[in-house]
Amino acid sequence: MSAFLDMGGYAAYVWPSYAVTLAVIALNIVWAQRLLKRSRKEALRRLTIGGTEA
Amino acid sequence: MSNSGAIGQDPAARVRAHETSAARTRNGGESSVSALTAARLILARDLKLAFRKRSQLVQPLAFFAIVTTLFPLGVSPELSRLRPMAAGVVWAAALLSSLLALELLFRDDAQDGTLEQYALSGRSLTWLLAAKTAAHWLLTGLPLALMAPLAGMALGAPPAAVPGIIASVAVGTVALSLIGSIGAGLTLGIRRSGALLSLLTLPLEIPVLIFGARATELAIGGAAYGVPLQLLAALAVLGLTLAPLAASAAVRINLE
Amino acid sequence: MAWTWFHRLASPPHIYRVAGRLTPWLAWPAAALIVAGLIGGLVLAPPDYQQGDGYRIIYVHAPSAWMSLLVYSTMAVAAAIGLIWRMKVAHAVAASCAPIGASFTFAALVTGSLWGAPMWGTYWQWDPRLTSELILLFLYFGYMGLRSAFDDVQRADRVSAVLAVVGVVNVPIIHYSVTWWNSLHQAPSVMRLGEPTMPPSMLVPLLMMLLGFTLFFGALLLVRVRGEVLSRERTASWIREALQP
Repeated sequence: MSAFLDMGGYAAYVWPSYAVTLAVIALNIVWAQRLLKRSRKEALRRLTIGGTEA
Repeated sequence: MSNSGAIGQDPAARVRAHETSAARTRNGGESSVSALTAARLILARDLKLAFRKRSQLVQPLAFFAIVTTLFPLGVSPELSRLRPMAAGVVWAAALLSSLLALELLFRDDAQDGTLEQYALSGRSLTWLLAAKTAAHWLLTGLPLALMAPLAGMALGAPPAAVPGIIASVAVGTVALSLIGSIGAGLTLGIRRSGALLSLLTLPLEIPVLIFGARATELAIGGAAYGVPLQLLAALAVLGLTLAPLAASAAVRINLE
Repeated sequence: MAWTWFHRLASPPHIYRVAGRLTPWLAWPAAALIVAGLIGGLVLAPPDYQQGDGYRIIYVHAPSAWMSLLVYSTMAVAAAIGLIWRMKVAHAVAASCAPIGASFTFAALVTGSLWGAPMWGTYWQWDPRLTSELILLFLYFGYMGLRSAFDDVQRADRVSAVLAVVGVVNVPIIHYSVTWWNSLHQAPSVMRLGEPTMPPSMLVPLLMMLLGFTLFFGALLLVRVRGEVLSRERTASWIREALQP
């Protein structure tokens, strides 16, 4: 196990790389979902304010 | 910016007048003002207007001189240390100076409605913007090309390099003006667009920088600079065919 | 006949519904492929002849770099379609692409620099691929900056579309000139493996990651496009129906 974590001495480079990439993946998921949620909320708000707008 | 003089003298108005008379002739037939003539008129107009504000003409050149001076001050006064970076410095300074003059490329005409007239005139906006870009090059790029050898020599280039420096910077600034016209068209309506214009334009200009600096560097070293110069010329030709098109698309969208 | 299909595809309520239903079909396979690729790359693949275990960064660097270019191309194609056929949905796709592409370009830069660091001795070198990625990041920022400078969404869409098309023409030119520039100075590129050819045990996880990231991009697009389409639609008639859960 510790040999795996050590990555042949390259641990300081390999693990941060994976961490950054997985963070970017996670960030994208959260960001996209949050945007959709916000758009839905906005659209509903526009609906309740006044039917069809110009 | 002061508006142009009497209607009879103003080339833009003459274009408009020609256009209305041409509209009265049979449609689809030969117009009395071809796109080329209109382009020439606009080129002349832009040059004439620019020479009324000579101080504004000098600014990009002064900027070029100052930026060039920063490098010896920041690095070392020794020419032996400056010469290896002379080409890069000259080109970086040229890119930045060219950017400086870009904002004015369309802005004044956009503000006083002239650009809209061009767009509505029925003449190809592409040609008209190409003419304006040509004016921009004559007013900025060409003077820069003539000043560049001075900057080069101040950074250690030998006098024998002068023709090569002029050639490379002259051809390169053609491409820079063309690429810059796209950025200027895109940011037409945006206030205080300076930083955004730079952010948009500089990455697109990097190939010009690479080939141009290489040509200049070879010239400074006394070697043959034909290959990068040809690549540079290829970029300029590509820009000539595509950039005014993109710029006119951008301008039309911004004028809507 | 084909035209009505195309026209229907372009209609925002249709897109909103279909995108919602398609998302799991891309998201779950993407997750599976990425997990499998991670296991394959980190555990099952053998160490490299030259770089030992350090080469395993390729399993996150290569997909990120692939994404940075795939997303930009998609963005440009969508922008062109939006310009030519005036399709709002196409513009929505282009807008959705930019933040995705920029974030993966950033990941490609970080992983690329970490990959080269043990070999170079520094965290940055003007390696042609890294330099190209950096310029690509600037292109993304320029696109996003231009978009945000306009209050009117329609104008932002169309102006940035011109930029995207100009940019995509430039990307190969930039790449070529940067490679040419780098070759002049003979700096070696270290992001290459010691193996003369990649054995399947190394190659398969890489392909899984590439495919997994691509499907992930598709899923992300579907989610984002739904939001973009909603915010572009002013008339509420279909929205009321679509939003009743």
